Amino acid sequence: MQARQMTIGKPGSNPDPLWYKDAVIYELHVKAFADSNNDGIGDFQGLIQKLDYLQDLGVTCLWVLPFFPSPLRDDGYDISDYMNVNPSYGTIDDFRQFLDAAHERGLQVLIELVINHTSDQHPWFQRARHAPPGSPERDFYVWSGTDQKYQDARIIFTDTEKSNWTWDPVAQAYFWHRFFSHQPDLNYDNPLVMEEILKILRYWLDMGADGLRIDAIPYLVERDGTNCENLAETHAVIRAIRSAIDEGYANRMVLAEANQWPTDVRPYFGDGDECHMAFHFPLMPRIYMALRQEDRLPITDIMAQTPDIPDNCQWGLFLRNHDELTLEMVTDDERDYMYLAYSADPRMRINIGIRRRLAPLLDNNRRRIELLNSLLFSFPGTPILYYGDEIGMGDNIYLGDRNGVRTPMQWTADRNGGFSRSNPARLYSPLIMDPVWGYEAINVEAQQSDPSSLLNWMRNMIALRKLFQVFGRGSLRFLNPSNRKILAYARQLDGEQVLCVANLSRFAQPVQLDLAEFDGMVPVEMLGYVEFPAITKQPYPLTLAPYGFLWLELQPSREAPDLPAKTQDDHTFQVAGETDWESILTGDGVRRLENVLPEFLLRQRWFGGKSRTIRRTAVNDWAPFDEQRSALICISVDYDTGEADNYLMLLSMSFGPDAESIRSSPNQVLASVETMRDTGVLHDALQRRSSCTALLELLKSGGRIVTHAGVIEGSPDKKLAELCRDAGELPPRIAGAEQSNSSVLFDDRLIMKLFRRQQPGPNPDTEIGRFLAERSTFTNIAPFCGSIEYQPKGSEASTLAMLQGLVANEGDGWQWTLEELERYYEGCASSVFQAGARSGPAIRLGELTGWTVPPEVHEHAGLYLEAAGTLGRRTAELHQALAGSTDDPAFAPEPLTPEDLFRLRETAAARAVQALDALKANLATLPDDVVETAGLALGRRKLLLGHFRKNLQVADGGKRTRVHGDYHLGQVLRVKSDFVILDFEGEPARSLAERRAKHSPLKDVAGMLRSFSYAAYAALIKYTTRRPEDFHQLEPWARLWEISISAEFLRGYRQVPDHAAVCPQSAEDFDVLLETYLMDKALYELEYELNNRPAWIHIPLAGILSLPL
Amino acid sequence: MARVELPEETKRRIEAIGSVDVLIGVWGTVGRDGFYERAAQVIAELGETAQKIVFAFPGDTPPEQPPSAPDSTVVCLQYPSPSSGPAGELWIEAASAQRSILEIAALLNAGSCLVLNADLVALHVQSIQMLLYASVEKQCDLVTPIYPVGKYDGLINSGILSPLTRALYGRRVRYPLPFEFGVSARLSTRLALSARSGNQADRSLLWPATVAAIDAAPIGQVYLDVHHHVPTEGLELSVVLAQLVGSAFLEMEQYAAQWQRVRASQQTPTWGTPTPPPVSEEPIDAKPMIDSFLLGSKNLDEVWRLVLPPVTLLELKHLARQSPEQFRMPDTLWVKIVYDFALAHRLRTISRTHLLGALTPLYLGWVASYVREVSNMTHAAAEQRLEQLARAYEDNKPYLVSRWRWPDRFNP
Repeated sequence: MQARQMTIGKPGSNPDPLWYKDAVIYELHVKAFADSNNDGIGDFQGLIQKLDYLQDLGVTCLWVLPFFPSPLRDDGYDISDYMNVNPSYGTIDDFRQFLDAAHERGLQVLIELVINHTSDQHPWFQRARHAPPGSPERDFYVWSGTDQKYQDARIIFTDTEKSNWTWDPVAQAYFWHRFFSHQPDLNYDNPLVMEEILKILRYWLDMGADGLRIDAIPYLVERDGTNCENLAETHAVIRAIRSAIDEGYANRMVLAEANQWPTDVRPYFGDGDECHMAFHFPLMPRIYMALRQEDRLPITDIMAQTPDIPDNCQWGLFLRNHDELTLEMVTDDERDYMYLAYSADPRMRINIGIRRRLAPLLDNNRRRIELLNSLLFSFPGTPILYYGDEIGMGDNIYLGDRNGVRTPMQWTADRNGGFSRSNPARLYSPLIMDPVWGYEAINVEAQQSDPSSLLNWMRNMIALRKLFQVFGRGSLRFLNPSNRKILAYARQLDGEQVLCVANLSRFAQPVQLDLAEFDGMVPVEMLGYVEFPAITKQPYPLTLAPYGFLWLELQPSREAPDLPAKTQDDHTFQVAGETDWESILTGDGVRRLENVLPEFLLRQRWFGGKSRTIRRTAVNDWAPFDEQRSALICISVDYDTGEADNYLMLLSMSFGPDAESIRSSPNQVLASVETMRDTGVLHDALQRRSSCTALLELLKSGGRIVTHAGVIEGSPDKKLAELCRDAGELPPRIAGAEQSNSSVLFDDRLIMKLFRRQQPGPNPDTEIGRFLAERSTFTNIAPFCGSIEYQPKGSEASTLAMLQGLVANEGDGWQWTLEELERYYEGCASSVFQAGARSGPAIRLGELTGWTVPPEVHEHAGLYLEAAGTLGRRTAELHQALAGSTDDPAFAPEPLTPEDLFRLRETAAARAVQALDALKANLATLPDDVVETAGLALGRRKLLLGHFRKNLQVADGGKRTRVHGDYHLGQVLRVKSDFVILDFEGEPARSLAERRAKHSPLKDVAGMLRSFSYAAYAALIKYTTRRPEDFHQLEPWARLWEISISAEFLRGYRQVPDHAAVCPQSAEDFDVLLETYLMDKALYELEYELNNRPAWIHIPLAGILSLPL
Repeated sequence: MARVELPEETKRRIEAIGSVDVLIGVWGTVGRDGFYERAAQVIAELGETAQKIVFAFPGDTPPEQPPSAPDSTVVCLQYPSPSSGPAGELWIEAASAQRSILEIAALLNAGSCLVLNADLVALHVQSIQMLLYASVEKQCDLVTPIYPVGKYDGLINSGILSPLTRALYGRRVRYPLPFEFGVSARLSTRLALSARSGNQADRSLLWPATVAAIDAAPIGQVYLDVHHHVPTEGLELSVVLAQLVGSAFLEMEQYAAQWQRVRASQQTPTWGTPTPPPVSEEPIDAKPMIDSFLLGSKNLDEVWRLVLPPVTLLELKHLARQSPEQFRMPDTLWVKIVYDFALAHRLRTISRTHLLGALTPLYLGWVASYVREVSNMTHAAAEQRLEQLARAYEDNKPYLVSRWRWPDRFNP
């Protein structure tokens, strides 16, 4: 990322680096679009003649399918010369002319980069098969003496290929191909291949192509023992390609074709350093499924599984394309349903999909076509239209392969549909000619002259979408109306808010939407600019016509000010140069900074006050650092309700190419800055390498920065020198998973955590880290290397940053557990669950002590059982270490008194009331499959409250000590066969006093046991995504795993001899106290999930129901 | 975006000058001697100033000695004259020269830039001081003038450009296409770059108020006691209308995503004292204008039917039947006509030249209606009447937005 910021490359045709987010892409075949020389095949000159049509339609980017020389055995995806144009389509000069003509019209051009394989006619392959084995020429492709390598890789073209290996009699070896046997895969283990690919890439980008679609991206590299998809080595190849693009070019885009689940596609975005865009394949069939089933669930379900992507990345959305409607990313049942619903004639099927166009799939129903396009245009991503679908073209299922959806464009009712003047027999493909779909009935000319045509409707919708940047860049949140035939979602971007409501049913539908959060706003229907009644806190009623949809722009009521109080002026600071902080942080500058800060804060993941309304912000103190190029700033944030917060901000100013690069991460930009000569951006300083390095130097050197109202001081620990020994430069990079804090990695040695929310007093993370390093022998923590402290005048010090050694690991405990669980479920899937293997709904903790792990669990989760025991021991050792000091009042153990128990009981009871009330209030909005479970939990209300009030009577509760405070699997790292415990910060939303308070260590134990429960169910949900019907079959296995792992963890915990020094002495007291903590934690989770992730609510509900009362 | 290309010699001179506080540039052909004389007068009247001021005026010959100045920081700088286009292209030439001045301002890092008309009537210390006051003291990114004009003057501005700009972009600017204006350093650069790309680049007008409104930049107005005489001999109304209104319609297309978000309008802070308009104004005979309208309604009926919805056509039919004494075009009717023509311009329903030609008789119909209505009104009452028209533009903006977003011909 940093390297890219320092370079400037040849610009693309669009000056906006994020142009692809607002684009409307049009996919076309040159051969199918327009034939200028009447040879029956479309060509670039023909395409140039039609550019005015495309401009008028309103699309902004043309995706041109492969146009390179090719034997055309896979529609051009079998390339025999990457640096030329297929003579049938024209010359390289014709392509240049097309590129210029498109750019003149403001159209960007996206071309194909088919780099997984070549044609077997490509000179590289011909050379390779004749070259001696082991030679660089031979190694351009993947060869083997046997066809038994890479056996775990699936066959993609199941209709035509029986193996991924084909014997080559000339080479006397098998060559590898993931697609057709005439498309040998390139070998990316040979660096010469990469060199050649980069030459090709530069050739087309130099010419002016704006984007590259990388075909078949998951399959670039092969490794034995894997399924040869999505490998780390493949990602390294993509990063190298991206890096080459960023080094030489600006404002270009890479689009990944990865027909995978969203979670598997997510890595192709990397940290914003791999592909800019990727197709969202699984969404497309689910849109069709939702429409046919008249149920929004398939759509909301797949969107819930769609992870967040980096700010500079974008999903590519489509309804149809040049391939079949792929059904790879659906479950078997869903696939069967789709076949039955959309391909009555078996000829409509090919490979794992349906080879039909949009209009025929929807039985040529105009309302259905409009509805699906309305979803396409309003979902988060960039819409991609397939040529001909804008006029509702049909297909020809009697043509082979997928050629039925690749027929000539229908321009007029004249000869050959206006596509060509050639002899009809000479056309590359017959036109559609039947009475319903034929070119005489469906063509551009007719629809242009028909004001009510689909073409005119599409043109209007595209124009409308382009007026609202929120569609391409905004966030998405689904509403949950009780009528599931209605799909409703809110899109938001800065101040722009749009509500979309769609009726998936063929009949009119009523719906009541909970729009309380938009209370007072006025919905304005966007197509006709019709004002609807204002929103109140009451449910908002709407009625939608069959397949109807509404796009509503939510506007402030008329009484509200017409223009925001802040002006453009506030967003631009005049400065003398990049070190002129006075102009921003004093006088009028600071007033304006305080005006723009709220909007910036709301865009930051680390800002914890998003749910409250910010009343004002104030800069309290600041100081420049990094040779004045950055500033450390302490701000306070006042809200409408509740206590104010203090935050740490680090800002820098950048100009020129650096600024351009930073603008591509808009969330990092706070405002514009202008000097007399240049314009730039004011942004988060962590985007600047030198700022990160300056912070490290400050800490290492124990340096001081005098601020206007205090002092900032580095405080290194002795471990730091040891870790930095022999280290050269430690290049910084921002850690991807930013949460409530920001982290910077320095090479592979150090990690600095910046505590964004500042609270006066010792930060528990630093305090415990230092204590364990200096006062204990407990070593299963990240090495503590020091901190940066801030001492304001007349107030208590706070910690700005903490530095730790980076621990080499196999991932965090959560991720590692999910992977282990996937293997566990894989193993269990074929086993019949024995009723005798008890895993009933409720089991007393006491029973866990003597729990015998069933042999099935030993068989499928043996490694994890051992790990759970280790983790239990480490947890007990941690507690022992934390209780090891009697002379430090912050750490000295204290008895858990009856008053403490009373408080615990009352707090837990109050939380129970709150959580159950919230559950009751939200019952109607819960997914159907959890309503019953929720009802059961609500039915236990009296029992629960009684449990807290009566049962928390223990003779000896043990001790209160410092604890981890927010202990779960995500807070441990798997290191070889052991664990390292991290992050002693506690729950960041709580006050410092609460986070430093002493508790029974069983609070941590309960946290980890609940985390096992979460992991068991989260992995089960993921595992059964493709076969939801397996969920109930595997659920007993999940419960069995949870019980067994919990038992092993507790056994490990109790094995540590001195655990009893701080825990209740008797087993009964131990269980009662632990059960209370467990119940309290599950109720906390219930409330959290209700507010944040209703789809996960059954996990805490299962936890609540599993505890005996 | 197209960028004005300055000759190398000019760039070298600019480099030699360095940065300045104020650039005062004049657009349009100007005699060098006359300019020097007026500049010297302004410099003398400004007196001792710590500000570095540069004057720029068009001309192809290299500059000679600058006028004697009390302060050595005052220098004069020539820039190439804009190429003379066909007659009637005053505003296109003006835009080209204005962009040159703004480009020079950007290169000089001028803190403020005043752009003045070539008739030099505003090259006067009071006008300069007023424009600088709003620009420097009040920190307005854009300062536009309010001229003391009669109630029959500048009706393309009063009947279309000003209320349209106000309704679209939410700023009440009396002269969105002014003869002179002042801009900040930031807006200078922005405006210099605001030329459209492609074939229209050299022919687009400069709409400083539109750009400032889009940027949410502070705008101020100042009363200037300045009377410009615009030569009208040989000018076709339809050509001027096509040039000005056509350009405003192009701006609408460019900024559609922005103006559709704007609701209502904001007052623009105004400084200075209004100068009374000319005392006696000759009454205007509306009859020839009504005749033009009636002729248009006969000859252009087919074109109007392509552009206007049935209810508007019906109202026009009624209007054509009114006697000259009763001839009144309701505000709503006129505003919807302008909006429908803007939409047809965007959709290219017919050729844009023909379209704007077909607007001329309708415009004359509105002018006829207006002059009859205000003939007995005071200047202030006529201003109130124009305010009422401007509100009609705002009130009917939803009509425009809905037609723009869903331009279905099947409408009322």
